[in-house]
Amino acid sequence: MKLKFLITSLTSCTGCISTLISLDIFPQFLERAKIEYFPFISDNLEIKECDVALIEGCVSEKNQIEYLQEIRKNAKKLYALGTCSAFGGILSLSNKKESYPISKFVEVDGIIPGCPPPPTLLGNCLLRLVENKKIELSLKNMCSTCPLNNHEKLDTPLTIEKIVPRNDEIRFPEENLSCFLNEGILCLGPVTRDGCDHLCIKQGLPCEGCLGPVSKGFTSNLINFLSLFNLSKDLRKYKGIFYRFSKSHVGGKN
Amino acid sequence: MDKVVEACTRVEGCGNLTIYLKNDEIYQTELNFSVYRGFENILVGKKLLDIPKIVSRICGLCSASQTIASCKAIENMYGIEPSNQSILFRRILLSGELIKSHIMHYFFQSFPDLLKIFKIKTTINDPYNLINYNPHLTTNVFNLIKIGSEISKLIGGRALHPITPFPGGLIYNPNRKSLISMEKYLQKGIYYIETIIENFIDLFSAFDPPTEFNLSNPIYFGLKNNMGFDRYEGNLRIEQNETTYNDFQAKNYSKYFDKDPNLYGITFKSNSKNEILTGPIARYKLTQNYGIDKIYEYLSNFGKKWKSNLLFINFLQLIESYYEIQKSVEILNTASLKSKTKLKQLNSIKKSNGIGVIEAPRGILMHHYHLNKTKSVDQVKLFIATEINLPILNKMITEYAKKLYEKEDIDSVKEKVQIMIRAFDPCISCASH
Repeated sequence: MKLKFLITSLTSCTGCISTLISLDIFPQFLERAKIEYFPFISDNLEIKECDVALIEGCVSEKNQIEYLQEIRKNAKKLYALGTCSAFGGILSLSNKKESYPISKFVEVDGIIPGCPPPPTLLGNCLLRLVENKKIELSLKNMCSTCPLNNHEKLDTPLTIEKIVPRNDEIRFPEENLSCFLNEGILCLGPVTRDGCDHLCIKQGLPCEGCLGPVSKGFTSNLINFLSLFNLSKDLRKYKGIFYRFSKSHVGGKN
Repeated sequence: MDKVVEACTRVEGCGNLTIYLKNDEIYQTELNFSVYRGFENILVGKKLLDIPKIVSRICGLCSASQTIASCKAIENMYGIEPSNQSILFRRILLSGELIKSHIMHYFFQSFPDLLKIFKIKTTINDPYNLINYNPHLTTNVFNLIKIGSEISKLIGGRALHPITPFPGGLIYNPNRKSLISMEKYLQKGIYYIETIIENFIDLFSAFDPPTEFNLSNPIYFGLKNNMGFDRYEGNLRIEQNETTYNDFQAKNYSKYFDKDPNLYGITFKSNSKNEILTGPIARYKLTQNYGIDKIYEYLSNFGKKWKSNLLFINFLQLIESYYEIQKSVEILNTASLKSKTKLKQLNSIKKSNGIGVIEAPRGILMHHYHLNKTKSVDQVKLFIATEINLPILNKMITEYAKKLYEKEDIDSVKEKVQIMIRAFDPCISCASH
């Protein structure tokens, strides 16, 4: 029996869905699953009962809540596909527009995080979902497998002055690049879930945190993390470093 | 007045088709976006180096175009040009993106419509039927999408929302292995795209395209480089016909068109009643000659009727994919690519206005940032192809819907008008930035 899938977007860039279509296993997925609803590539607009719903994008409009609830009623399992859906995403940077993770409005059975989700992670999740299995995510942070040297020895308290290295400072891990934090460059690796294969770090740039937190207590993790640093005055005023992909649910501007 | 709203399917992003009726006659038909995200507002107050990574998230199909247009705007402020090698890699990255974007649109969104329009197969309405229609074609399509992704991953550091394009160049250390693997992918791509092009010619070239899809003298808008087809460098051109056109540098754009960042839509300051069109057809009209014999041969299968018809976009998407694969192979074969690409230094900001323009898969993409006295971004204008094409799209679907409604019911109008919308390949994510 093929499982029935519903795949759709709320407020998004469609990047998670285009990543999904670009997967090596996508043709195999189309053979092994029954697509009930997938407006990006299919004409059906009727929401019917399905086994798995994958939702891309955040909730930014009122009418999306009803749509989402309708899908929840019809779906045995519902997953947040990508960081917008899981945490609110890039629109968290806006001060004019509200953006919420879908879990604010419906019960969620799991998340596939990332901006976009790393293809290997997404492919593995999709194959497990087709087989009616639960998806598994790493429970470690980025530092636990970081390719850079000396990442475990932070000389605290650190002074963080920059969000990216200067152009002439950009180096690659093979050039003996050391932990960004020790260099005074903000890296969100310590509070970000492992699973992207350190793509930014391998290009000589710090982690922006697009995979989101390992555990639900992101804000408390972040507070502990921040207690290790002195942020420069400039960065203290700068909006959207820590909550680039998810809005803070406690007070505070950032 | 009655209003009929239908969610569009098989388009990029969330769009609605709205039909306005008065006394049971259609008087207006529009493509609307269900969401506005307000990126122009998000960018105000951001650090310049932070902007390319944020604008990438405008679009999940043309994120490299967004990122590179942004880098170019910032480089314009610093008065620097990236190294030749960085530009070559940016070009290949943009080609990888174009291949993926064009092929996905062609196969999943337009191909079923073309089969329906020419009555070859009218029963393909879900992806399972589509991939089993012609398994050989499907395999070639997926292989090309994979090639696009692999190129983007190798050069961009990630298949989507690229990491490496940076103001000052592109952070990429090519090693022999990755260059060889890139060339291998592209060489195979030539075969796949040739097969898809030949399949298109076999299936459709003998037919005349429907006259409702004819373009009535649009004004073409695109990058014009006298060296030939180019999506990275050139002046802007607005062309009414082959003898009446304006060429201008991007910095002078506001003489010809502009937008209010708080209002929706782009205004062209033109006396003509005709609408502006950007994208593959405009690029074809402005370039005429791609400089590759085989493309000339492929194009010769189609006469004037096709070449002034909206559906020709689909064929040009394949032609452009072919062209960009060939050009990327040429770069990899002829340029001496060093193992380390150096980023140019960002020393001091020379200008408070920065403009970056490129041709994204769907047409002109231009970013304009302005800095205030404290060198912080205080105004952002994003000019996006789908927004530019919206007036001509709405005009054509209105005329088409009116004509259809004389003989057919509203459900049939909704279905057929969507075919025309899809033919334009609107990028609703981009347009709803």
